[in-house]
Amino acid sequence: MAEVQLVDVEKRYGSFLAVPKQSLTIEEGEFLVLLGPSGCGKTTTMRMIAGLEDITAGDLMIAGERANDKPPKDRDIAMVFQNYGLYPHMTVAENIGYPLKLRGMDRKTREARVQETAEKVELQALLKRRPSELSGGQRQRVALARAIVRTPKIFLMDEPLSNLDAKLRVTMRAELKHLHHELGVTTVYVTHDQMEAMTLASRVAIMREGRIVQLDTPKKIYSEPADLFVAGFIGSPSMNLVEGRITGGRFEAPGVSLPVAGADRGDVVLGIRPEDLQLTDPGAAPISGKLYALELTGDSTLVTLRNGRTSVCTRGPADFEAPIDAPCTLAPKPGARIHLFDKQTGQRLDA
Amino acid sequence: MRKTVFWWVERGLLLLISTIVLFPIAWMFLTAFKRPRDAYSLSLDFSPTLSNFVTVFSDPWNLGDMVLNSVIVASVTVLIAVPCAALAAYSFSRFRVRGRKFLFFLILSTQFIPAVVIVLPFFLMFRSLGLLDTRLALIVVNLAIVTPFVIWMIKGFIDAIPTDSEEAAMIDGASRLRVIKDIVLPMAAPGILTSSIFCFILTWNEFLFALILTRRDAVTLPVGLVSFRTERGDLWELMSAAGVMITVPIFIMALLIQKHFTRGMTAGAVK
Repeated sequence: MAEVQLVDVEKRYGSFLAVPKQSLTIEEGEFLVLLGPSGCGKTTTMRMIAGLEDITAGDLMIAGERANDKPPKDRDIAMVFQNYGLYPHMTVAENIGYPLKLRGMDRKTREARVQETAEKVELQALLKRRPSELSGGQRQRVALARAIVRTPKIFLMDEPLSNLDAKLRVTMRAELKHLHHELGVTTVYVTHDQMEAMTLASRVAIMREGRIVQLDTPKKIYSEPADLFVAGFIGSPSMNLVEGRITGGRFEAPGVSLPVAGADRGDVVLGIRPEDLQLTDPGAAPISGKLYALELTGDSTLVTLRNGRTSVCTRGPADFEAPIDAPCTLAPKPGARIHLFDKQTGQRLDA
Repeated sequence: MRKTVFWWVERGLLLLISTIVLFPIAWMFLTAFKRPRDAYSLSLDFSPTLSNFVTVFSDPWNLGDMVLNSVIVASVTVLIAVPCAALAAYSFSRFRVRGRKFLFFLILSTQFIPAVVIVLPFFLMFRSLGLLDTRLALIVVNLAIVTPFVIWMIKGFIDAIPTDSEEAAMIDGASRLRVIKDIVLPMAAPGILTSSIFCFILTWNEFLFALILTRRDAVTLPVGLVSFRTERGDLWELMSAAGVMITVPIFIMALLIQKHFTRGMTAGAVK
């Protein structure tokens, strides 16, 4: 277990700036998720921690020691790769035992440890097989077992679940979470799946174009997104974002008129989550428009309505039915959170 | 299944090409088992004999010495060229060094020089060194010819290996050399074996340098063939017997390559 610190770390490929100068502290025992769309620099950041990518400038500290120039093998880390990176010419048991073999552990102890680890991820029956004889989920578990067979200072996981089917992904997610709880090892996890990030993380760092735009607990990121990018990225279905203006203490946009706190100004984007809205009777409803789409998800129906440029979505009851283009009205639920952003800078406007 | 016109055209062309390629070889094999008086006849009706093989291995031809020379020269060349080439290929494939592309081009460019152009300088060089008519000279020359080619070939195989497994091994605690030994070599093994056999074949068949640089002691099989052109005329049946001795090992190796070529060792590494 160890604390990881990135101090003014920067990564350039020639003249291309992949990750601009930034600092980040990953606390001991923390499960930190680097979240962002592809090409945002999250994997590069992780690979710098792993030692697979040189650091152009700044310091990487692992457990208080500068690790910039340490080769990966001396950093005492374990990593799960997106494509697993198994050794195809070795059996499952040899794959899992390889890190131990490299550390000169004798055969007996090694075999016992491999057995023990295999049980943890339910691979006992497959130890003699080769990776090519395994399914995707099984390969993923081998990669995981290889990472946890010894107790490293840090776990690094690079989209470990992205090659699995949706169902398996959910099961493995729970297993990862449990494993982290059990081992308590500092973990850095890269993903572009906001759901994975929200469920797994102690803290989430949302990255965009190489920069961390917000670093906070999943709860905080959900309830107080720092800017429009985070607001739109987190949550499913994503937050409703409506462009308009504030006049006389009300936010005004086509079909929307809501009381808000804040001085009068134009170029404002109002954000409200679908789950913070509800369908209401027509009348003096703050949001009105024509029904645009109905999507049944099983336990509820996603209702989208439109009015001019405004498009707003909410969750309605599963049995909600209405013809398309029918007039439709919405109101915030009591206690609903309304977010305001500056349209130009994208920054959150705090009341 | 109905056979289309295309099917017939395809088979016809394949048959034609096979015949053109294989006919001389088949003819050589037949001649090797013919008696001298049958050697010039086109008839397939002859009583086969092994006497040609006995003759070429005995005085004055002594094909055995040439077989030994060829085996030593080709084997030693492979044993030196392949390990060096494998390491060079790995470096070219994985390390982003400044000038890497130019260096690689430089190495390949040695293959563009016609052998005839450099054979004379080599002759003069080895004469000064007193190495004419030695196996060592042939090995040195063959190394120079074959190594760039093998580097290029093995690099192709290593390029095809995903880096994920290597990176995983480095993180698991392996040094770069350990990664090469434990991960890269086993995964590239079919490719390296294929390249080795290719390298062996190239050296085995090399003619021009062996012709110029050897005389009596270090003569290799291809050069030995020429000695069957005597003042009594061309001894086709003996030449064919020697030809069989040259080609059979190569045939066997080609079969081996084919088997390993299709094995696909990298399956299961990723995804």
